Amino acid sequence: MPDVHVTIDGTEIAVPSGSTVLEAARIAGIEVDTLCDHPAIEPIGACRICLVEVEKQRALQPACTFPVSDGMVVHTRSEKVVGARKFVLQLLFSERNHFCMFCQMSGSCELQNLAYKYELDHWQFNRPMPTYAVDASREYFVMDHNRCILCRRCIRVCDELVGNGTLGLKNRGADAVIIADLDVPFGESSCISCGTCLQVCPTGALMDRASAYMGASDQVERVKSRCMGCPVGCGTELVVRDGQVIRVEGDWDAEPNKGLLCVVGRFDPQHEVRERVRKPLVRQGDAWSIADGEAAYGLVAEKVAAAGDSVATVASGFVTLEEAQALGSAVRGRKFYMYDLPQTDRTATMADLDEADLFIVTEMDLSLDFQVAGMAVKRGVRKRGARLILVGEGENGLADWASMRVGRADLAKVIAMAKSAERPVVVSGPAGLAAAREIVSAVPAASLASFAPGGNGRGLCDAGFGQTYAGDAAKVTVVVAGETSQVEPGLLDALKKQEFVVVVASYREPWDQVADVILPMPTAFEKSGTTVCADGQAGQVVAAMSTRVPTLEATIGMVAEAIR
Amino acid sequence: MTEPIYRANVLVCAGTGCASSGSRSTMAALEAEVQRRGLQNEVRVVETGCRGFCAMGPIVIVYPEGIFYCQVKPEDVEELVEETLVKGRVVSRLVYEVPDTQQAVPLYEQIPFYSKQQRITLRNCGVIDPESIDEYIARGGYEALGKVLQEMTPSQVIDEVKASGLRGRGGAGFLTGLKWQFTAQAAGDIKYVVCNADEGDPGAFMDRSILEGDPHSVIEGMMICGYSVGAHEGYIYCRAEYPLAIKRLHLAIEKAHEYGLMGKDIFGSGFDFELIVKEGAGAFVCGEETALIASVEGRRGEPRPRPPFPANQGLWDRPTNVNNVKSYANVAQIIRNGAEWFSKIGTPKSPGTAIFALTGKVQNTGLIEVPMGITLREIIYDIGGGVPDGKQFKAVQTGGPLGGCLPASGLDLQVDFDSLRAAGAVMGSGGMIVVDEDTCMVEFCKYFLTFATAESCGKCVPCRVGGRRMLELLTRISEGQGTMADIEMIEEIARGMDSDSLCALGQLTPGPVLSALRYFRDEFEAHVLEGRCPAKQCVALTSFYIDPAACKGCGICKRACPVQVIEGDRRMIHIINQDGCIKCGTCQEVCPFDSVIKLSGETIEVPTELIPVGSFGK
Repeated sequence: MPDVHVTIDGTEIAVPSGSTVLEAARIAGIEVDTLCDHPAIEPIGACRICLVEVEKQRALQPACTFPVSDGMVVHTRSEKVVGARKFVLQLLFSERNHFCMFCQMSGSCELQNLAYKYELDHWQFNRPMPTYAVDASREYFVMDHNRCILCRRCIRVCDELVGNGTLGLKNRGADAVIIADLDVPFGESSCISCGTCLQVCPTGALMDRASAYMGASDQVERVKSRCMGCPVGCGTELVVRDGQVIRVEGDWDAEPNKGLLCVVGRFDPQHEVRERVRKPLVRQGDAWSIADGEAAYGLVAEKVAAAGDSVATVASGFVTLEEAQALGSAVRGRKFYMYDLPQTDRTATMADLDEADLFIVTEMDLSLDFQVAGMAVKRGVRKRGARLILVGEGENGLADWASMRVGRADLAKVIAMAKSAERPVVVSGPAGLAAAREIVSAVPAASLASFAPGGNGRGLCDAGFGQTYAGDAAKVTVVVAGETSQVEPGLLDALKKQEFVVVVASYREPWDQVADVILPMPTAFEKSGTTVCADGQAGQVVAAMSTRVPTLEATIGMVAEAIR
Repeated sequence: MTEPIYRANVLVCAGTGCASSGSRSTMAALEAEVQRRGLQNEVRVVETGCRGFCAMGPIVIVYPEGIFYCQVKPEDVEELVEETLVKGRVVSRLVYEVPDTQQAVPLYEQIPFYSKQQRITLRNCGVIDPESIDEYIARGGYEALGKVLQEMTPSQVIDEVKASGLRGRGGAGFLTGLKWQFTAQAAGDIKYVVCNADEGDPGAFMDRSILEGDPHSVIEGMMICGYSVGAHEGYIYCRAEYPLAIKRLHLAIEKAHEYGLMGKDIFGSGFDFELIVKEGAGAFVCGEETALIASVEGRRGEPRPRPPFPANQGLWDRPTNVNNVKSYANVAQIIRNGAEWFSKIGTPKSPGTAIFALTGKVQNTGLIEVPMGITLREIIYDIGGGVPDGKQFKAVQTGGPLGGCLPASGLDLQVDFDSLRAAGAVMGSGGMIVVDEDTCMVEFCKYFLTFATAESCGKCVPCRVGGRRMLELLTRISEGQGTMADIEMIEEIARGMDSDSLCALGQLTPGPVLSALRYFRDEFEAHVLEGRCPAKQCVALTSFYIDPAACKGCGICKRACPVQVIEGDRRMIHIINQDGCIKCGTCQEVCPFDSVIKLSGETIEVPTELIPVGSFGK
């Protein structure tokens, strides 16, 4: 795009043609206040906070949507502009309940910040303050319409990014209200509780139950890390206050998720109810005793030493690459991955998903599992008109999105369609992997996104844990579980048959059913390391809180010490 | 079977106004009567579109003479057929009488309501059977399309429309030809033409009348536009509240297909064109072109900021030309008669005619078409017949709920896009409401503001919240609670809405209030400073009193009072207990001696207890 020359507040700059005034101002280093605008979504020019004066235009224009043209002269701080912004703010404050001191967003609220900046020290207009019922029907977060400014960020992220289209508006004008589906309680709607709306809400209208009133933006630190919940490997921002992670947000700058998270990554850790393992536990018959450190590590050392090479180590996806390497060099015997192995040929990246014109999803429900990948599929179907074929029977949350559903026997039909597509992507879980492989091998243009439970499967494969655990007999079985809660009953049954089972885990359940000794392990919030996601990209897990629970490396060290 | 040659045509208006006053039963009665007398091969009864003179409906015109019958009821039909169609005589009791002189005017073209009008856009309305494509063709229909497709290049068409000076009849008055040129020049191989038939102003029915009375004129205009901008598909966005218009559009499209005037390879020119009718759900804001486009696409009807303009990025992001019904309806005639012919009608800067739905306090309400440049006085007094019941003219509102009002001093203003705008009113899409001395301007503004705020989509803050705040302030003033600061605040909100709102709905919502404050500020101030409503309309500021000197003690008012707050007895002076009075005005209506008076901002001395009639003050 050729450059055009514009003058903003007296500064002449060259910006790419097609830029908006807001983008041009940012290039010029001039800050223009916004409210309904958000960098991750398309601007709509609704709130009128970003109004600027464009010479030769009768009315003020929204910087977020107004395109620049050559020779344009823009004023972003003129008296008229400031007056308009104050006017809009005054109107917003007159609309609903904006008594900041009672709101958990006070101190972090974009509306409040603007009010301070534009020196709103009184209410100018009448404020009838209509009352709206608070919708607390969702498990993780609450919608308080009384604090809503109708900026529609929530509706837009749900539509543009999540692809779910759950949120919308009812009524017109001053009576407009955000609704879910056809105005059902949020908890009964098609909402998948990904929380993207919560993350973009500029006011206190959407409130996180876990972190409400726990800290304003200037009282918290933010640590960029990575989710280990599944192989999508989403970048996160851990919001920390007083050494505690109070909330998880999606990292807008991170690939592959670009700010999105699912319920597993965003809410599950904050709503964990299992009992934490902080000290070693040793089984005594049906009871457990908190063991003195030395005794527990000594017992494990004794068993391991006696087992010789008959040791099986089983790692979950919550084990980092560094932890796996430490295990690899310290523990003898065979190494297993807890779940199905990830496949690594012709891997589709999230970018491939975002360009696909045909999705073939085999034997999995992307509305429940690997939701962030599911969002890419929904986006593709809704926004780009991509087609979706679901292979396999049974209930599927994406059934309404699908243009076709076929049984496993009809793969020939699917292959024929895939051959006529330009950029087909096959998405599969472990169950559908055989069918997925068959399609991909028949269609040269197709790529494959294969997801298996567990976050760091590829990293563990690379570190030598390249076999799926199938109950292999050993004298000592070491399960390095981390915080995983994805445990198949089959795994527990297999472990029950083993002679001696040591589990290194953050939480007691469900391992207390099978273990002889449970050793503590930090959660992903408490440790740093590397995780490799499904498309082969490495990501850094960064500790956001300190813990007295020993690292896995320290645990290995203590066991080794006890052997000597 | 060949159609018989009729000696007489009886045109029955079935436009909105006449249909509501019962023209369908009149029509049925006429058809039955003609049958009964065996005249069906001599006399043809035709259902037409709107004739405009709605106040006089149902209207029946008998041709070839052009006898104009008003308010024809089914029971008048036998006499009408007997006298006019059998004996060739005029039924004088059914012809129009000029109210002031009682002079009977039997012939259509001599009626003052019509004599100052110039029907260009509406030339077929009320004249042809709108369901007959043959009648449209007989009046020169589709000639222009043929000419365009066979003799003109697209750019010649655009040049011709530009040369005519036609300005958009949706209200803003942008040059139609220039708009077409933008769409024609926009990059892209798929383009659309869209007709905005989302007429939503209360009381306006110009677009409806054209679609119901002459649908082919709009279709032909759209096809000419499509050819000139390079579009092969058009959409007519018509509100679902216009079922007859929708039915006739569908029929017209079907007929045009049947006649080879639409579809593939029209007139063998290689030009293809299809037209789709999209029914709107009746949101006023969908008359805004970007909201209309969103609605056609199946999204919530809300405007988006422009640029990009629809000419570059419209329906499904393709270049799209959006024009009003009236704009398209003028096109075929411009092509047929030439740009020069059109540009000589009206004024140089606003050529052509304007159509108004003339309503309110005028004798002759209805649909009128006048050359641009005519004065408001000519419209209201010569065509409209002035204010009825000897009342004083107070103001005229043009441009509908987003327009503005003008006082008596503005009556000699020329009606065209620029003069009205300069005076604080707008052309709008053509509503014209006349009010008399009994209308309070605060209430008047409240009415329009209530409409505009109810129709705000809620997307941008100034319109969504500003309109509501302004309405609250106006309500306060009308209830006598207002302050002078409230008036200033109204003006401040108005300025903010005008300059900061996203679309024309928000920008123009303050129009009626601003113009009323400009011309009738004293009336607002009377509410605030004196607690007085000069028009005695604001309920909170008016009181009813029984004039003790005039009361005869008959007790009628006491018996009629629905809340029983009138105290009185036989031959005693009656008294209204002000505390309980709901100001319904029933006492004033029923008093045979006109002794109940309505006051605002003043009181009169009344007795404190019941005293005999005639004894007060003695």
